[in-house]
Formats: sequence, structure tokens, C-alpha cells
Amino acid sequence: MANDAEKNPGILLIGAALLVMMGVIGTLVLPYFDEGVTTPTQTAKLKNYPTDSAEARGRHVYIREGCNYCHSQQVRPVRADSKLGPVSLPGDYYYDQPVVTGTIRTGPDLMWVGQRYSADWQHAHLLNPQKIGGAGSIMPKYTFLSKQDRDDLVAYLLSLKPAPQNKD
Amino acid sequence: MAQSTSLTAASPFPKGSLTVKFFFYTALFYLLASMVLGLIVALKSVNPDFLTGSRFFQEYFQYGRLRPVHVNTAVIGWMTTMFFGITLYGVPVLCKTQLYSEKVGLFTAAYWNLNYIVGAGSILAGYQTGVEYGEMPLLFDIGVVICVALTLWNLFMTAVHRKERVLYVSLWYWIASVMFLAIVYIVGNIPAGWAGPGSAQMNYQYFYMHNIIGLWITPVGVGTLYYLLPKLTQRPIYSHKLSLIGFWTIAAFYVWNGPHHLINGPIPFWLMKAGIIPSLLLLIPVWSVLANVVGTMKGVWYKVSQNISLKFLMTGTLFYGLACIQGPFQSLMGPHAILHFTYWTVGHAHMPLFAGFSLIQFSAFYYILPRVAYRHIYSRALMNWHYWLSVLGFVIFAFAMWTAGIIQGFEWMDGKQLGASFVEMMESLHIFLISRAVGGTMMFLGQVFFVWNVFKTVTAGRHVTADDEIFMKTS
Repeated sequence: MANDAEKNPGILLIGAALLVMMGVIGTLVLPYFDEGVTTPTQTAKLKNYPTDSAEARGRHVYIREGCNYCHSQQVRPVRADSKLGPVSLPGDYYYDQPVVTGTIRTGPDLMWVGQRYSADWQHAHLLNPQKIGGAGSIMPKYTFLSKQDRDDLVAYLLSLKPAPQNKD
Repeated sequence: MAQSTSLTAASPFPKGSLTVKFFFYTALFYLLASMVLGLIVALKSVNPDFLTGSRFFQEYFQYGRLRPVHVNTAVIGWMTTMFFGITLYGVPVLCKTQLYSEKVGLFTAAYWNLNYIVGAGSILAGYQTGVEYGEMPLLFDIGVVICVALTLWNLFMTAVHRKERVLYVSLWYWIASVMFLAIVYIVGNIPAGWAGPGSAQMNYQYFYMHNIIGLWITPVGVGTLYYLLPKLTQRPIYSHKLSLIGFWTIAAFYVWNGPHHLINGPIPFWLMKAGIIPSLLLLIPVWSVLANVVGTMKGVWYKVSQNISLKFLMTGTLFYGLACIQGPFQSLMGPHAILHFTYWTVGHAHMPLFAGFSLIQFSAFYYILPRVAYRHIYSRALMNWHYWLSVLGFVIFAFAMWTAGIIQGFEWMDGKQLGASFVEMMESLHIFLISRAVGGTMMFLGQVFFVWNVFKTVTAGRHVTADDEIFMKTS
């Protein structure tokens, strides 16, 4: 019934590992050879925050508080996203480490939120989303953030905008 | 060792490993914890001011921190711990021998639990990495890899020193899955967050997110299914060949599926196609498993009404099948454009993890517990309560999420993506979020019955007698 290869757990493990590594190479290694992925866009250069800038610290707060669990940062070339602004490109994320594209829009997409609202609006919204965004908003109040953290976070949010189109 | 007929009650080996019990009982703790966390998250979606009474709760029980802990506690805490217990029980049994090293097993169990608890705590304290599903800081990732490697070594050595010549198909699935877990965990957690440009990293994130389910939960769960099915029906597996096809196609196709989460997203077009095609090919392993189950069950379906463990197993298989019809469907560009980013995802993600493989794990728990604790399950009625609350709770939960997702998807197509119109749409979804919390509460109650039943079994269950079939059969 069973042939000899089926009786050897070593052969089994090596075969299975080879198949899996093929997929790892195909989906994880090959993208490094794609120019779209490996070339930063103007927007990416705008988001290449110097270490310890307010934006970099704000991004840290963004990750620490798990903002990416409700807000995506990714505009797709589909009808549902047509109001959100320019479609995001692979190169836009060049400097993002880690990347916070998100998987769900419990709240609106934040890819270009920096061009939509002012700093004052963001501060007021973080402190009381229901008052500013509307009673139906289910965003928690971020009153526990220190003034410093909130300033940094807002600086980060305001930096999320497309680079100005300069034709040279 | 001779065949089971010559075994006497005096040689009840290889049952009752302390390592197995350690993993089993601690898994129950994570099961309850993940349920409580999920419930809090669901209630916070209904009312954002829930549990924000003091600054402490506001900060450490904040949605954005609780959600990753909920996910990790479910996947790493409950499911992985439980599957370690199942494999550490099943591999020795199928090899007709003892676990290679009980000491290593116990050390793994202790280190595993300590590592996870502190790791989850560090997420709550604000040290999450920002990599979805892989939030635990590097220190604890290394701990996980060490434990997985120790378990793999222990299982492999058990298989090498086996007394049974033929490797039953569950052994393939189990041992290979632990190796897959090592690969997936290392690739998905160690470089994620720093290796290379952002778009390349998205692949690491989605590779991990998809394959912790596709290459760990799924194959080890299918192996458990193939282990339990002949036991609970007293029939051999319908087709050995089909199970092999299932195994090799899982290994070949599942791993390619990371990019299908980024369809229409910021990745090269060829990479999307490289994710979509294997997603459709997944129908091969899934249907080979289902065909095998249906073939085995032919003529004995009536046993589902007699054996609650089998009822759990069949329901789990059904939901696994449904999840794997949803998957390829969602990976098509059209449906993905509507369903991605919506609550649909939440319903879909819970189907394989809870309704699929958790149910199979419950089945395994009820089957194995008497064999390691030497006590019969305390209450059949409680088992039934556990079953119905879990299944009905999940159905309410999932349909609420799927419906909400479809509404969201089409409302966004109508332009309600931003500002006041977005909030207006949120209000219309309120009822679905409440339904989710109701379904979630039922799921949680089901688990309370489960854990209570296990507690009563271990403390007050009827002892297994010497002539019981549990002692008479070794494999």
C-alpha cells in the first residue's frame, strides 16, 4: 500500500519544506526585483521622516495605540475608493518600516488625511470623536495621551498627503 | 508490541502524558481569555466608552491594544497550545510508543506559557510591533520559535523511534505542520517590520497573516480530522490517496496566498496574479479533504446524532469547507473590490479559526481527555450546550458581520467613504455590531459550559475502568 518514501519522515519533511520555500521565494523574494517596489516615489520621500522628528514619534504612537486596526492607509483603483484621492503606488511605502496599510476600514482611510483636516480639527477629534465626527462615531476618546504624544500623532497625520506635482 | 487484542489493562501505554495535560489545561485558559477579550472588543465597537472608567482602563484596555491581544490569544494562545497538546498526544499513539522526551515536553510547555503571557502583556503595555497578527516583540518571537523547534524535535524523534512501521497520514500532517509553523513564524515575524522597502514588507505581513492559518492551523487541523474520523466512526479513512493529494497540494498552494489580500492594492500586478491563481487551486486540497470525509461517513452519518464529539467534528469540517469556498471567491478581483476593508473580513476570519478548527479541537478535547485523565466526560448535556451555543452564537456573529460588510461595500461604492456620510453609514451598521456582541456572548457562554464540564470531569468524572475500550486500544 504505502511505498518506501511514505515511511520515511525525513523525506516527507524535506519535500514539504521545498514546496513551501518555493512559495516563500515566489511571493517574498521576487518583489525585491520589481522596480515599482524598489523605487521610492516623491510621496515616499515626503514620508521619509528623520529619526526623532515629531512625525516619526507620531508614527510610533500610531502603531503603539493600534490605529491601524481601524484605519487603512491604502487607496485602490476601484470605484469604492474614487473619492479618497490619488491611488497609492508600491513606491509610496518605500520608507515605511513597518508598513501600516491596515486590513479594515472601521474608520475612514487615512492615506491622504493630511490634506483634509487641520491640526486643530485633529486635536479636537482625538479628544472627543463623537462631538466632532458625529454621534454615530465609534472611535474611542484619546484623552489619556500626553500632550506631547497627541502633538506628535497630529504631526504624523498631517504629513499624510500626496507630494505636490512638480513637472521637471 | 503486539496488537491491541493482547494488551491488558496493566499496560495502558502510551496514555496520560503530563505534557499533554499541561498543554490541554492551559489552552483552556487562553480559550476563555480570548473570548473575554473578543467580547470586550465587540462591546467597545457598540459603545466606545465601554470600560473607559479610569485612565488605566482607557490606556491599557484600549481597542487598538486589546484587538491584537485578542487575535494572538486566539491563534497563538488557544489554538496553537491546543494543537501542541493534540500532536504530542497523537504522534506517540500512532507510533505505538512513548513521547521521545517527556522532560523536554514539560520544559516546552512551561516556557511556552510563560513566553506567551509576558508577550501578550507587552502588547497591552504598548510594545506592539505594528505587524498585524505578529504584534509580539522580537524577544517573544524568538521564544515562540524555540518552543516550536523543541516540539518539532520531540515529535520527529518520536516518529524516528516508532514501533509502528507505516506512518498514518495524520502523522504527515502533524509533523509537517509543526515544521511549517517554524518556517511561517520565522519568515513572518523576524524580517517583518524592517527588511526592505515597504511594499515588499506588506508581503511579509500578509504571508504571516494568511499562512499561520493556511500552513499551521489548517494542516494540523486536517491531520486531527483524519485522526479522529476513524476513531469516532470506527471505520477506516475512505481513501489514502485522496489524503495524500490533500497533503501535498496544501504544502504546494497555501503558501502562495499572501498577496491575494492585496488585490487592487499597492503591489505589482504579477504578484496579485501569483496570489489569485493558487487561491483558486486551493479548491483541490479542500475538496479532497471533504470528499474523503463524505466517503468515510457514507452509511454512518446517523452516528453524528449519537456521538457529540463526532457532531463537533462534522460541523467543524462543514465550516472549514464553507470558509474555503469563501476564500477563493473573495480572491477574485471584483468581489475583493467590494468586500475588502469591510466587516465581511471579520466574519470570514472567524469561520476557519472558530467554527472550523476550534470545533475540531473541541472534538479532539472530548476524545482525548478521558484518555489522559482516566475520567469519563462529566456531562453530555453540558457538551450539547457547548455545541449549540458555539454554533448558533457563531452563526449570529458571522451573518451579522457578512451582512454589515456587504452593506459597507456597496455604500462605499455610492461614495460614502469620508466625513459625515461615513458616520451616517456607521449608524446604520449599529444593529449589526449589537448582533455581533450577542452572538459573541453566546459563543463565550458555550465556552464557559465547556470549561466547567472539563473541570467537573477532572475532579468528579466517573473513573475509567480497567476493561474500558480506552485502555484496550492503543491506536
